[in-house]
Amino acid sequence: MASTVHHNQTHADVTRDVVATLGTPGRGYTLLLLGSVACFLVGLVTFLFLVKDGLGLAGYKPPVMWSVFITTFVFWVGIGHAGTLISAILFLFRSPWRTAVYRATEAMTVFAVMTAALFPIIHIGRQWFFYWLLPYPNQRWLWPNFKSPLIWDVFAISTYFTVSATFLVVGLVPDVAAARDKMTGWRQKVYQIFSFNWKGTQHQWQHYSRGYLYLAALATPLVLSVHSVVSWDFAMAIIPGWHGTIFAPYFVAGAIYSGVGMVFTLLIPLRKALKIEHMIGEYHFDNLAKLTLLTGSILFYAYAMEYFVSWYSGNTFEQTTFWRRAFGPMWWAGWTMIICNAFVSQLLWFRKIRTNLTALFVISIFINIGMWFERYVIISSLQNDYEPWAWGQMGPNWADWGILLGSFGWFAMYFLLFARTFPVVAIQEIKEMIPMPRKRGAH
Amino acid sequence: MADEPSSTLDRRKFLAVLGVTGGSAAVLSGCSTDRVEKLIPYLVQSEDQVPGIATIYASTCTECASGCGLHVRTREGRAVKLEGNPEHPVNQGTLCARGQAGIQGLYHPSRVRSPRQRQTDGSFKDISWDEAIALLAAKLTAAQGKVAVISGAGRGTYRDLLGAWTAALGGKLVDYEPFDHESVRAANRQIFGLDQLPAHDFAKARYIVSFGADFLETWLSPTENQRGFAASHGYIDGAMARHVAFGPRLNLTAMNADQWHVARPGTEGAIALAMANVILAERTTGPADSNGLKNLLASWTPEQATQISGVPTEIIRRAARDFASAGPSLAVAGGIGSQHRKATELCAAVNVLNYVAGNVGRTVLFGAELQSGDGYGALVEMTTAMAAGQYQVAIVHEANPAYATPKSGHFADKFQKVPFKVALSLFPTDTAALCDLVLPIHHALERWDDLRPRKGITSLMQPVMEPVFGTLAAGDILLKLSKKAGGPLASFNAASWEAHLKQSWAGFAKAQGNGDADGFWRAALARGGVFGPAPVTPVKLAAGALQLAYPAAALDGAEGADSFTLSAYPTSMLYDGRGANRPWLREMSDPVTKITWQSWVEIHPDAANRMDVQDGEILTVTSPHGSIEAPAYLYGGLHPDVVAIPLGLGSNRTFDGRGTNGINALDLLNGEPTGGYLAYTSTRVTLAKTGKFQAIAKTEGTPRQLGRGLSDSMTLTQAKKGMTPSLAAAETEHHPEVEVNTEAEHAALRGFRSAQDEKIKLGAYAEDHPKWGMSIDLSRCTGCSACVAACYAENNIPVVGEAEVLRGREMTWIRIERYWEGGDDGEPLEARFLPMMCQHCGNAPCEPVCPVYAAYHTADGLNGQVYNRCVGTRYCSNNCPYKVRYFNWFAYNKTAFPEPLNLQLNPDVTVRARGVMEKCTFCVQRIRGAQNTARLEDRPLADGDVITACAQACPSSAIIFGNVKDSTSRIAASSRDRRGYHVFEDINVRPSVTYLARVIDRAEA
Repeated sequence: MASTVHHNQTHADVTRDVVATLGTPGRGYTLLLLGSVACFLVGLVTFLFLVKDGLGLAGYKPPVMWSVFITTFVFWVGIGHAGTLISAILFLFRSPWRTAVYRATEAMTVFAVMTAALFPIIHIGRQWFFYWLLPYPNQRWLWPNFKSPLIWDVFAISTYFTVSATFLVVGLVPDVAAARDKMTGWRQKVYQIFSFNWKGTQHQWQHYSRGYLYLAALATPLVLSVHSVVSWDFAMAIIPGWHGTIFAPYFVAGAIYSGVGMVFTLLIPLRKALKIEHMIGEYHFDNLAKLTLLTGSILFYAYAMEYFVSWYSGNTFEQTTFWRRAFGPMWWAGWTMIICNAFVSQLLWFRKIRTNLTALFVISIFINIGMWFERYVIISSLQNDYEPWAWGQMGPNWADWGILLGSFGWFAMYFLLFARTFPVVAIQEIKEMIPMPRKRGAH
Repeated sequence: MADEPSSTLDRRKFLAVLGVTGGSAAVLSGCSTDRVEKLIPYLVQSEDQVPGIATIYASTCTECASGCGLHVRTREGRAVKLEGNPEHPVNQGTLCARGQAGIQGLYHPSRVRSPRQRQTDGSFKDISWDEAIALLAAKLTAAQGKVAVISGAGRGTYRDLLGAWTAALGGKLVDYEPFDHESVRAANRQIFGLDQLPAHDFAKARYIVSFGADFLETWLSPTENQRGFAASHGYIDGAMARHVAFGPRLNLTAMNADQWHVARPGTEGAIALAMANVILAERTTGPADSNGLKNLLASWTPEQATQISGVPTEIIRRAARDFASAGPSLAVAGGIGSQHRKATELCAAVNVLNYVAGNVGRTVLFGAELQSGDGYGALVEMTTAMAAGQYQVAIVHEANPAYATPKSGHFADKFQKVPFKVALSLFPTDTAALCDLVLPIHHALERWDDLRPRKGITSLMQPVMEPVFGTLAAGDILLKLSKKAGGPLASFNAASWEAHLKQSWAGFAKAQGNGDADGFWRAALARGGVFGPAPVTPVKLAAGALQLAYPAAALDGAEGADSFTLSAYPTSMLYDGRGANRPWLREMSDPVTKITWQSWVEIHPDAANRMDVQDGEILTVTSPHGSIEAPAYLYGGLHPDVVAIPLGLGSNRTFDGRGTNGINALDLLNGEPTGGYLAYTSTRVTLAKTGKFQAIAKTEGTPRQLGRGLSDSMTLTQAKKGMTPSLAAAETEHHPEVEVNTEAEHAALRGFRSAQDEKIKLGAYAEDHPKWGMSIDLSRCTGCSACVAACYAENNIPVVGEAEVLRGREMTWIRIERYWEGGDDGEPLEARFLPMMCQHCGNAPCEPVCPVYAAYHTADGLNGQVYNRCVGTRYCSNNCPYKVRYFNWFAYNKTAFPEPLNLQLNPDVTVRARGVMEKCTFCVQRIRGAQNTARLEDRPLADGDVITACAQACPSSAIIFGNVKDSTSRIAASSRDRRGYHVFEDINVRPSVTYLARVIDRAEA
């Protein structure tokens, strides 16, 4: 595989290059990490204020009962989708280009889901009772309402987190072992623990490969199910602009689109910082960009279909909602979403753009913004549903932005820590692609 | 009742007081603000007090001059809710929003808690009652009769005592009521020779014309008017009275008219005269003495009236003919908001109109003599004398002229010329702040008293609980002063005010031919008073009728293209400013503009366009007498030459720390009395932009229905044909009724319903349960918001304040949506009302989405909401198509009821904590209470046993509640009405609230 493996690479080179990323961090890294922690602390303090004084601190303006928090929740769940798609589905399809990028995307998935999982707690009125959403045995014989999409959410998210975290940890085992062998002192002991005493015997490899395959098969349906379930938070409600059968596929496509976008945003700088440009190159980004183009086009179709159906239905409530999305007081948000997602993705028809990393990085920022706004716009349907008397405007304020910033800080903090602690490129899978070393004549 | 209010209620005294209460109707318990630190069981159980069971006392409302009867609901010794006394002839069981908010006056944290004396440095110091009485008694003795008394007390034994007391002192007394309807009385003097305010029988009138009289808001007896108006104007069996309004502003009353015709300010009288002229010219019979008017009125042609007022000739002519033929009809004028400089002439013209149409004696009933004050002129006369140094002592009893008179009248300056000034007051009012001594008096719910709002009605008040603060009954203050001062006052020697009142009632009993004074008293107390029919005085035209004239109203200030006529009008919530410190009234929103907490300046959109003024832009309004700043509110319901500013705000003494105090529109008016009254709509003002903006805290999202069929209406013709609202809409909008659902969809719906019917036979739903339902007749609803106040009181709804209303977070479980229709392209602007509360859907979208079953369906068809279980995901609110769920964003329960306002909280209803969702429960506590009572009495629940708070309060009786499954119930009949519809029927949520479409009697050929 020409693009992943250079002709003169050896197994030892791979191990050396990847393990080199785990060395003592430089100044830039430390600053980034400190910045992330600072952002996270902003979010934490905001959250503590919300718990102390009430959700009223955030800019909620009824009838908009969900706002930036749910927007950000769905955003992070969406981000979490590219990882599993790349690591599990492409694994099953034996797409070799996934090898170099899947570890980073998988880590991104786990951390994104960890970020998203905070929001169901942050956004409820009595955060200290969040566990009532869990079906735990209790003296009162009270169960959660299994008819509520929010309960489906709880199951979908917790399942997804469990499976993707397991997948990540299992995938790491041989690589951690490789790193362990290069380490000395206390670090070696730590890696020894995470390597589960991996020795790389034939017997271990045999079980490992089977196990990994089954995990991939287990994770695959989750890519489709989790975001479908999240989309039903909206689609199961009767709010015009939410109540659509298109929501599940539309959300899954959007999730992958946003996830791959985030992969660009993270990997393009990361490969430079970790000096692994020769492992993750044009070839990989080209393929990722094609995936983005596909999902972006699905979104384009979905957006168009939403407008068409609202017109075709003759339903005045739906029509008003979509009219206001495009021309109402929040027209700018509506058009941000359409331009960033439907139109910007069409640039990827050009190979020149697909292989230009600067362009891809810029586009990926547009994707992140566009996909956040997509959820914001969908939630803004609450501004003008059935009862005109109750119509209102969204009005995010410092508390909303504080939590949003905190979520980015929380996510970045974990990702940065991961990148310095574990191999972000799968050592053993790259090695698999390098021809076995043979005895040859000297040259 | 103990004589002295106990400011320190120790254990011994507490028990002693409990012991002596016994059979007295005045029951009390520890509700002094000084907390009883130990829990003390009832050692001696008070006979008529059972914990958990409400005790009801009859009383009388003192929030305006109408004198409505009250039923005060008390629980464990504290008043929790005011409702109308069903036996009282004025309000017959209903009560307006203002009356209901009276209870917030009782518990208001800013009430004066002990006598206060002004120090030399201007500050006030608390003193004891003995000191205060001694001080005032000495001053009174020294004053040698130079005593001025301004009394806001209504007609009754206390006023008699005060009058006799003042006379004995040699002083002078002025009865002062800010909204005195002096112009109505003056016109009655002129036309009929009777210095009276008559009663009006709206229920009997078949055609009602209002010339700017806001009879549903503040005019004379609003609750009684509304009750009568709903009875005649509400659609019943193919008939309804017609209501036409003429005036410069579309007020709540005009919004309830079938047609409102905008007239230039000050010109309504020309229309009335023209109508009278047409009637006289065209009719053959009628009161003989009115023929003398014929020549006098001949020059008042409809054409001329059109020229003066701007109302089309055809409309005037037609109104005159219909008015004469409808019989009996009723024309009313003299509202405060239209009290211009020719208000007496206007009322005189309307008197003549009523007279020639034969209404006097049928719908206009002289002899009732509604209570009124001496008028603004009398007050000005007294203050002039004060300025001249003619008084040594001034006593102001429950009146606030320093606030309620224009600054240009300089009341404060003149009042301060009196060396010693005393206020008998509940609150630290603007007037009390000028006084040297402030004596806090009992609230009407804390004292013995009576009121004679009109002939034939003597309404009683009784202490329903221990006084909240260290106050005294005003009568006791007078008696104590008499005892202390002696001299000319020595004859006022009753042991106590209560004894004096009972003594006077013994005389009353004798006059009524009842020998058993005690039994008479007890019966009256139980009933709420002595109620008989008012005598009807036969009326003839007086000589003054021939002096009838209607000169053009001279305006105050320069007329010019850039100036406007100011209409300073009272709102139904704030009244003369009494409502301004009641949190409920501030937050419930003005029924017309739906603005809460703030002041505003109404300006016509055309004028705003011309001046490039935006909604919320702060304008400087300047008149020859002063200027104010307030945000603009663009309002199409105005004559383009008018700006309107609501009265009632701008006092310095409003509810602490909540919202702005607003501005006082009186600052712009001329303080000179015109014909004995204050002209509220004659001053010319200019507007200037300040470039600043203020967000307007209104509860309205979008004021248009967007064709969604929320508040449906139909014409009288359509209603008579028995059309359904959708058929009527199809006919009005000239399109065939579109059958949206195909047969397949109907089949699907049927399948869905039968599946659901299966479900409701399972588990706890299986037995035979009632199905609670409500119907709201929009042809009776006037949008007055009495139901909203009732809901606030009954269900412990917190007020959230201006800042939170600006974020749309008000908690009104029931809200009155006010939609506009028309108003563009020369179409008349019309209002539609829609009381909106939880619809208790049979197929409720809120229920399945709640992850924790906090929202659930009860077996009797209610949407339950378990506050304790709610975690606050707010999904239910998102999914509610009616948006009637309210979220506790903050701990409103901690901020909305500052002590002792929290004593008003209804113990039957949970006070909701932060982070939970709440909503209308159909007053589930009342349902369960009635069910328990029925079970204890071993009988089935009867129709009418359960009345929700909103239905109980509604002065229009627009709301009916009951068990829909009981086919004989009123609700079942009402639900089957042809006018019935559900809001958003198509989304199949199957609401339990049926609305009956409003019927509008349009002038159809």
